[in-house]
Amino acid sequence: MLKKLLTPWSAWLTFLGIIMLGGLAAGIMVFWKGLSITHLTDRVPWGLWITIDLSSIALGAGAFSLCAGVYLFGLKRYQPIARTATFVGLICYTMATLALILDIGRPERFWHSLVYWNTHSLLWEVTMCVVLYLTVLVFETMPIIANLEWLRRRFPRLTSLMEHVHHYAPFLAIVGLGLSSLHQSSLGATYGVIKARPFWFKPEMSVLFMLSAIVGGISLTLFVSMLSSRLTSKARVNDVLVERLAQFVGYLLIGYFYFRAWDALATTYTYDPGRTEGLHFLTKGPFAFNFWIVEMLLGVVVPMILLLYRPTRINRFWRMVALLFVAVGVVAFRWDTNLTGQLVLMPILAGQAITYTSYQPSIVEILTGAAILAYGLGAFSLGVKYLRVVDHSLLETKQEMIQVETPEPVTA
Amino acid sequence: MTMSNKRTDTMPEGSRPMDKTINRRDFLKLSAVSVAVAAGTRVVTSSKASSAAPKGKHRWAMVIDQSKCVGCEYCTLACQAHNDINPDIQWNRVIEAGKIGNKPVFVPRPCMHCEKAPCVEVCPVKASYYRDDGIVMMDYDRCIGCRYCQIACPYDARSFNWEAFTGENPAVPEWGYPGIERRPRGVPEKCSFCYQTIDRGLALGLTPGVDREATPACVNICPTGARMFGDLNDPESNVSKALRDNPSYRLREDLGTEPRVYYLPAVHTEEA
Repeated sequence: MLKKLLTPWSAWLTFLGIIMLGGLAAGIMVFWKGLSITHLTDRVPWGLWITIDLSSIALGAGAFSLCAGVYLFGLKRYQPIARTATFVGLICYTMATLALILDIGRPERFWHSLVYWNTHSLLWEVTMCVVLYLTVLVFETMPIIANLEWLRRRFPRLTSLMEHVHHYAPFLAIVGLGLSSLHQSSLGATYGVIKARPFWFKPEMSVLFMLSAIVGGISLTLFVSMLSSRLTSKARVNDVLVERLAQFVGYLLIGYFYFRAWDALATTYTYDPGRTEGLHFLTKGPFAFNFWIVEMLLGVVVPMILLLYRPTRINRFWRMVALLFVAVGVVAFRWDTNLTGQLVLMPILAGQAITYTSYQPSIVEILTGAAILAYGLGAFSLGVKYLRVVDHSLLETKQEMIQVETPEPVTA
Repeated sequence: MTMSNKRTDTMPEGSRPMDKTINRRDFLKLSAVSVAVAAGTRVVTSSKASSAAPKGKHRWAMVIDQSKCVGCEYCTLACQAHNDINPDIQWNRVIEAGKIGNKPVFVPRPCMHCEKAPCVEVCPVKASYYRDDGIVMMDYDRCIGCRYCQIACPYDARSFNWEAFTGENPAVPEWGYPGIERRPRGVPEKCSFCYQTIDRGLALGLTPGVDREATPACVNICPTGARMFGDLNDPESNVSKALRDNPSYRLREDLGTEPRVYYLPAVHTEEA
């Protein structure tokens, strides 16, 4: 009896469930006790949660990039991958929302940003775009949710209606492309406009955030697709498609590497107080390992080689390793960027020395962060099992055939 | 008076229900009421002129003479009391900036009330805003607590309420009595140039910077008279005169934030 219950699937869900329960307890503590139980300070008011927020949104960028590719640039054959990316995107954006709700001091006023507009604020723009894009993602995932067996049997008319949304996919892709281009780059600009922090204050922040999001987003989608196809028969990938896209990621990485290296090297051009110190902090200071090894070597150079060199790209293991590294590298980029700007303290008087501070996330921040990640993994796992989100044999035409098989025939 | 009804002055609406009652009254009562309304209107309009002055009528500024500042931190203590601030937080911080000869030089740092304030620009919900008299205000009822303003402020002038301030204020009553409500948990707070004192003083026909009852607490308490407060729009105000007659500077002028707090450097008396 016990052996029957203890399948890898149930063990996986239990594991995630425990992490989520821990995070729930920590989250309740945060709402009850307030942010004083975190390690955030007036010097470092943005920490781990902001990193989770930024990383989730960046890694959710596969949705808009691939939907644009499929529905706007005519790369129809990648439609099954775009389908996975859309679902991943929905999960990522809800993860970001969870992290933000924890992070703001007055979570019950989250709706204020939708009502009281400050059109000068990058954060206002990001909030509006994220809310609108989350709505687009909900519409885009409706045909996927309609795959739920139980929902089909129970509400056949609803599911056929939800599947019908698929016909508007090109329009949704246009709206999604617009909104994503805005907020993905504006998240970079959120930092880029802060003149008080010279390390951030540069226009290329937007470009870097946008580019790294596209690279990381596509990589994460491909990685989780391949991983689930290895773990369960519910997931089926068309390896030719995945390999082609992985090669494309390899080429994108060249461009990203060029911009990133140029950005880092050009940081010293101005000799602005604080900017060079920021670069030193990143490249020689406490973040040197993160920058050189995680961000640049493992996050960009190694996967670039693995994905462009045919033998390693054909090899599924190395391809998966490369794709995972890209995603991790993007997370490291967000973490390093967010913290470097805050840990280098500018004096209020000209000529005074620049000082440094430090930040380590507290246990409640880590527990809630882990729970948000567990939620994402759990939601994706359920999607693979019950919604066939990774099924490259499922093409548009087949979806329509399934639709005909539903108990209630669709009247044309 | 709370922050929210400061922003929306409801004089016209306030008089409407009265008009309705007037219609139902006889002539004597009507005349009595109309006299009362007229009197009320005068009081309210004069107070309105202070809190929502036409743009540019006043331009409050502070001048801090570093040659006189001895770093006693009385200003900080008076600020803590008058604004009922958590002892963990300082709206007005006195920073030792170095020494000239053997004499230490201090930079007392309130909020700069920048003309182009980064915190106002970045706030996603307009919880930080400019008053018509240039004071950079916080609407603590609107703020969502995202702390972007803290990220953006070059002067480190904002402190977040990581927890609610519930205990006794050790600065009260020795250094003064609170004139405003305590801020709730989860919002950043900062110096407001004691707007409550300015507004009340103006309503009483006093002049901020001249009459103590209309002047920020830190200016009043300063034992060496290092702080001046006044209206830059008035060429004869003490701040206008001080800035005309002395060399002055502002913090991080390179950022283009146009602070309204000016410093008279410590060296200028030694040179004179």
